[in-house]
Amino acid sequence: MSCSSTSLEKSLYSDLNLIDQLLGEQQQLQTPVATFAKEHSSLPDQEQYYRTLIPSSQPQEGQQYAFEVELDKCTSCKACVTACHSLNGLDENETWRDVGTLLGGEEAPGWQQTITSACHHCIDPECLNGCPVAAYDKDPVTGIVRHLDDQCIGCQYCVLKCPYDVPKYNPAKGIVRKCDMCYSRLNEGEAPACVQACPNEAIKIVTIDVAEKTRQGFRKEGFLIGAPSPHLSLPSTIYKGRNLPKSAHSASQKDVHPEHGHWPLVAMLTLTQIGVGASLAIPFLQSSTFITSLISVVFVIAGLGLGVCHLGRPMGVWRFFLGLKTSWLSREFAIFGAYSGALTFLPIITFFFPDFSYLRLIQGGIAGLGLLAVFTSIMIYVDTNRPFWKFSYTATKFYGTSFAATFALLSLWSDSLLFPSLFTLVMITKLGLEIQGTRKSNSPEWSPAQHSAKVLLGPLRCLFRARIIMGIAALLLMGAIPLVAFSFLLLSELLERITFFKAVYHPRMPGIATHSHH
Amino acid sequence: MLFTNKKNSLFRRWNGPLTKDLLQKPAQYGLGKTPEKVTPDATTQSICGFCATGCNLKIHLKNGEAVNLSPETNYPVNMGMACPKGWEALSPLSSPDRATTPLLRNSHGEMEVSSWQNASQEFATRFKEIQSKYGKDSVAFISTGQIPFEEMGLLGAFAKFGMGVSHGDGNTRQCMATSVMAYKQSFGFDAPPYTYQDFEESDVLVFCGANPCIAHPIMWQRVVNNKRDPKIIVVDPRATETAQCATHHYPIKPKADLTLYYALAHCIVRDQRIDHSYLDQHTQGFEEFFEFLTDYAPEKIAPKTGLSVSQIEEFARLVSEPGKRVSFWWTMGINQSYEGVRSAQAIINLCLMTGNIGKPGTGANSITGQCNAMGSRLFSNTTNLLGGHDFKNDRHRQKIADILEIDVEKIPSENSWAYDQIIEGIGNDKIKGLWIIATNTAHSWINQKEFTEKLRSKLEFLVVQDMYATTETAQLADLILPAAGWGEKDGCFINSERRIGTIKAVKRPPGEALSDFRIFRLLAHAYGVGEMFRKWDTPEAVFQILKKCTKGQPCDITGIDSYKTLNKAGGIQWPFPVGTELRGSNQRRLFENGKFYHSNGKARFLFSAPAQKLAEEPCKDYPFILLTGRGTSSQWHTQTRTQSSDVLRKLYPHEVYVEMHPRDAEKIGIKDREKALISSRRGQIYAQVYLAPTMQEGQLFLPMHYREVNQLTHASFDPFSRQPSYKASAVNITAPLS
Repeated sequence: MSCSSTSLEKSLYSDLNLIDQLLGEQQQLQTPVATFAKEHSSLPDQEQYYRTLIPSSQPQEGQQYAFEVELDKCTSCKACVTACHSLNGLDENETWRDVGTLLGGEEAPGWQQTITSACHHCIDPECLNGCPVAAYDKDPVTGIVRHLDDQCIGCQYCVLKCPYDVPKYNPAKGIVRKCDMCYSRLNEGEAPACVQACPNEAIKIVTIDVAEKTRQGFRKEGFLIGAPSPHLSLPSTIYKGRNLPKSAHSASQKDVHPEHGHWPLVAMLTLTQIGVGASLAIPFLQSSTFITSLISVVFVIAGLGLGVCHLGRPMGVWRFFLGLKTSWLSREFAIFGAYSGALTFLPIITFFFPDFSYLRLIQGGIAGLGLLAVFTSIMIYVDTNRPFWKFSYTATKFYGTSFAATFALLSLWSDSLLFPSLFTLVMITKLGLEIQGTRKSNSPEWSPAQHSAKVLLGPLRCLFRARIIMGIAALLLMGAIPLVAFSFLLLSELLERITFFKAVYHPRMPGIATHSHH
Repeated sequence: MLFTNKKNSLFRRWNGPLTKDLLQKPAQYGLGKTPEKVTPDATTQSICGFCATGCNLKIHLKNGEAVNLSPETNYPVNMGMACPKGWEALSPLSSPDRATTPLLRNSHGEMEVSSWQNASQEFATRFKEIQSKYGKDSVAFISTGQIPFEEMGLLGAFAKFGMGVSHGDGNTRQCMATSVMAYKQSFGFDAPPYTYQDFEESDVLVFCGANPCIAHPIMWQRVVNNKRDPKIIVVDPRATETAQCATHHYPIKPKADLTLYYALAHCIVRDQRIDHSYLDQHTQGFEEFFEFLTDYAPEKIAPKTGLSVSQIEEFARLVSEPGKRVSFWWTMGINQSYEGVRSAQAIINLCLMTGNIGKPGTGANSITGQCNAMGSRLFSNTTNLLGGHDFKNDRHRQKIADILEIDVEKIPSENSWAYDQIIEGIGNDKIKGLWIIATNTAHSWINQKEFTEKLRSKLEFLVVQDMYATTETAQLADLILPAAGWGEKDGCFINSERRIGTIKAVKRPPGEALSDFRIFRLLAHAYGVGEMFRKWDTPEAVFQILKKCTKGQPCDITGIDSYKTLNKAGGIQWPFPVGTELRGSNQRRLFENGKFYHSNGKARFLFSAPAQKLAEEPCKDYPFILLTGRGTSSQWHTQTRTQSSDVLRKLYPHEVYVEMHPRDAEKIGIKDREKALISSRRGQIYAQVYLAPTMQEGQLFLPMHYREVNQLTHASFDPFSRQPSYKASAVNITAPLS
C-alpha cells in the first residue's frame, strides 16, 4: 500500500516537473532570434524589384506624382491593403487602401475586374477645399495631398466632401487620417508600401501632366468606369491596361447600407434651425417676445453645444478662419459665431429695454443673421455634390424646419388662424418632398436617388414612418393644442434629420460588401 | 529631398504627437523604412503558416518578440511578396478567443478551467478506459496540414506506436489525398515534380480547377513574371479571377474534366502529336490507353463537357504544340471529386504522351493547399508509415522500428482508415474516442450535420487541441487542450514544390498554451509511454529522427544537416540525399532523367471510364448544381484565424453569400443582395445573393469559409483517395418570403 502511494507521488512529482519544464520552455524566445538575426545592408533588399516602379526624377513645372494601376495585373490578391497597413503602422482596424470589384459584360460567364485604390491625390482636392482649419496641404512640387494630423479638429467634413470616400475618421484619435503616398519613403527613393508589395507590379508611381489630366477630368473622362466622375476634384490616379465594358459597375452598388447618423450634427442642425425660427417669430409678436427670445437662445446655444460633440479635437476650432476662402464649414462657424453672440443679448435687451426704439430693427437684423447662418448650414451639404443633399432638398428641409418653428410659435402666442395654416403649408411641403423622394425605389436603373429611396423604405423604414406620422400629428394638432404639436414637431424634425444623414448616397470607389442588410 | 521639414507655426501644426504616431524610420536588416514605434532590433525568418506556397516572412523583432513582419526578399519562393494572410500572420495570435488553459466538461455539461496535470491525466485515463472496453482501435485521431512535420511525426508515432491506435487521418484528406494517390499510382511515389521556376519557363500553362490569383497569389506572381508570352488556359465552370487573366477560358460543366481530358488525348493521338520515344523509354500502358481513347472523339463527347467541338480541338492543339513547353497545374477542382484520382491521372497522361515532364516549364503539377500538407504526406504516420513508407511492408516496418529503437510489433501492419471511414466508424460504434488536432471538423467536413448532430453524441470522449476554444469543433469537445500557434513554436514545413523551410517561435503564447509538440510530449508521458519518446525532446531532435527515416526513399533528405543548413540555403527541396549540391537558383524538378519510382522505372498510364452522371444529379426539386471553393485571398479555410484580423475581415463579406447568374435570379424573382433560401437533401441555409455574371446559369457558388455551407454538401468520395467531393451537389434556391 505504502509502496504504491509512493510511486503515485513520484509520478505526480515528475508530471509536475515536466509540466513546469514545458511551460518554462514555451516562454523562451531568445535562442532562435540570436541565431538567425541578419546584418544591415545599405539599400533595402526590396529595392531591386521596385526600382523601376517609381519616377527617377521629381516632377517638373505643370506635373505631379500619381498612382498608376495596370488593371490586367491586378488580380484581387489585396496584398497592397495589408502592406500599407503594416508598413505604415496603422491602427488595428485602419486601412488606407481599399480593394473592390467591378462587374459587367453581357455574355455568360461574364466579366469582372478588381480595383485597388487609395487617395487619388486630386488636382483640386475636395478634402482640402472643405477643411475649415487648413489641415490639408497639397505639396507644390509632388502634388501629394497630405493630411496634417496635429492640425485636424476631427470635424470629418473632408469625409463628406471626398467623392471617393478616402479620408477615414479614427474615433480613438479624434482625427481623420489618409494615404500620403508614403511621401517620406519617396523622399528617400523608396517605393510606397503598396507599390513594394504588389506581387504583379500592378501599382506604380508616375509623373502626370496636370493640364491634360485636368482637361480629361472636366470632360468626365480619363478615370474609371464604375467609379464616381472625376470632374469634381480631378483625381490624379491612372487606371489602364484593360478595356472596361460600358456596363461595368461596382459589385457593391446595390448595397442598401445606411450611412453614419452623426447624432451631434442632427441635434445641432435641428435645434439651431428651430432657434433661428424662434428668433424669426419675434418681430411679428405683440407679446411674449421675451420668452420667445429666451427659447431662441436656448435652442441655438444647445444646438451649437451639442454640435461641438461632433468634433474629435475641438480645441483647434479657433483656427476656423483659415478655411473661409473655400470652406462653407468655416463660414458656418463664422456666421453662427456672430449670430449666437448677438442673439444672447436679445432677451436682455427685450427684458430691460422693452421700449427701445430700434428694438424691432435689432430683432429683425438678428433674425436675418439667423437665416444667413442656416444658409451656411445648407451650403455645407450642397457643396458635397450629393443628389440627396442638393440645394432644393436641403434648403426646403433646413429652412422648412425654421419656418415651421416660426409658425408654430406664432400659433402658440396668437389666436389667428393664419399661422396654423402657414405651418400646415410648410409641413405639407416638407413631408411631400420626402414622400415623393421614395418613389424612385422601383425604377429599373440604379441611381443615387434610388439608393436613398431604398434605404428609407428598407433599413430606415420604421424611422421614416415615425417621422411622417409625427409630422402629420404636429400638423393636425397645431390648431388645437399647439404646445403638444410643438413637441411632435421637435421629435419629427429630429427624425427627419437622422434620415437626412443616413439615407444619403455616399459616392465611393467600387467596393465589396462586408455587411449584409435585408 | 522632395519635402523640407516644415516647422510648426501658431496657425499650422505640421508636427506633434499625432504626426509622430506615424513617423517612419530607416530600419536595418535589409528593410526599408518601418514605423518608428515598431523599429526592429533584430529579425528572423519564418515560413508562412497558411497555404502551401511557403512564403518566407521576415519577422521584425524587438526585445526578442515579434512586432511586425514583411515578406523576405531573398528567398526563391516569394521574392519579397506575400498575400494578405501572410502580411497579417501575427494578428490572429492576439485574438481574445485564444484558449489559455485546458478546459474540461464537467458533470453538468459545462466547460471548466482545468490544469495541465488534470487534463493530461484525464486524456490518458478516459482514452485507456475506452481502449480497454472497446479495443485499442476504438480511439482515433484527426490531424492537420497546419503544424510542423516534427509535431506530425511525434503525434503519429505517439498515437500509433504509443497509444496503439490504428486509425488516424488528417484534414489533408480534404485537399490533397487525390494528388497523393494519383502520383503514387502513376509515378510509384507521391512526388509533385515541379519547381516554381516552371511557372516562368512554360509556354502554355493550363490551370485545371485552380484559381491561383486568389488562392495562391504568390504563385501567380511567377506566371506574371513569365517572359515567354505564354498561353494561359483556365478550365473552370466559373469566370474566376484567374479566368479573367487567361488567354483561353474553357467554362466546362462541373465535373466534366475527366471526359474532357480524354477527348484532348484522343485528338492528340489522332493528330500524331505524341512523343513516341518518350513513351517507349519511360512509360508503360500506353497501348491500352490508345485503345480506350477511341471512344472519346470530340464530336461524340462535346455535349457532355459543355464545350464546343472547336473549343476542344483548339485546346488539344494548344497543349500538344511541338516544341512548346506545356505545364498543367491543378488544385481542388480536380482533387475534390468522386473521380479525382482518374482526373489527375488524365492530366498526367497528357504530359506523359507529349513528353511534357521532367523538363523546364512542363509537368503534371498539383498545387498543394495547406502550409504543411506536403510534410504530412511524408511524416504524419497516417496513410504512410514515417518517411513515405508502407505499413503493410515488413521491410519498411522493420527499418522504421530499428531507427526509432522500438519493437516492430508496435507498428501496425494494416493501413489506417481514411477520414470518412473514421467518421463512419463513429456511426457504427467502432470509434468511441476521438482526438482532433488543429482542424475544424464540425465546420469543414462534408455533409456537416451528420457529424455535429448525429455522431457527436455517440463519442464517449472527444478531445480537441486548438489555438482557439471557440471553433465549431472545440465547442463540442469534452476536453480542450490549448495550443500555441504558428509564430509561437519551432519546426519545419514543406511547401508545394517540396521545399523544406523552418518556422520560429517569435511570440509567447497566452496563458498556459503549449506548442502541439510539447502537448504531445506531455500526453505521451501521461500515457505512460514517455520513455519511448525520450529522444524526441525538441523539434530539431525529431527532425534528425525523421530525416533518418527518409534514407533511400525518393524523398531522402539525409543531406540536410540541421535547421541552420535550411535557413542558410533558402530552403531545400527534396530529394536531398547525402552528397547533394545545391546549384544556382536553388530550383530543382523531378524526373529530369526520365526515371520514375516504379520498380521498372516507368510511369504508368492509368485510366477508367468516367461516371455517367454526377454523384448527385440536379433534378426537379434540386435543379441547381452547387459549387464551393475559396472566396477571397483574405480568408483561410474555416476562418478560425483569418476572422481575428481586423484588416483581413475588411477584405471579405462577413456573412455567407451565394453567387448566381443574373438571368437565373430574374427567373426565380430574386434581387441582388436579397437573402435567399438554399436547400439540399441534407439541410437548408439562408445566404445573401450576389448577382455574378461570372457564373454559368444553373450553377450556384458558395465560398467554403462560412460555417453553414457544408450543411448542404453531398458526401461522395473518390474510391482511390477517399477525398470528399465538395464541388457538385444538387440544391434549390428560392426567394425569401416577403
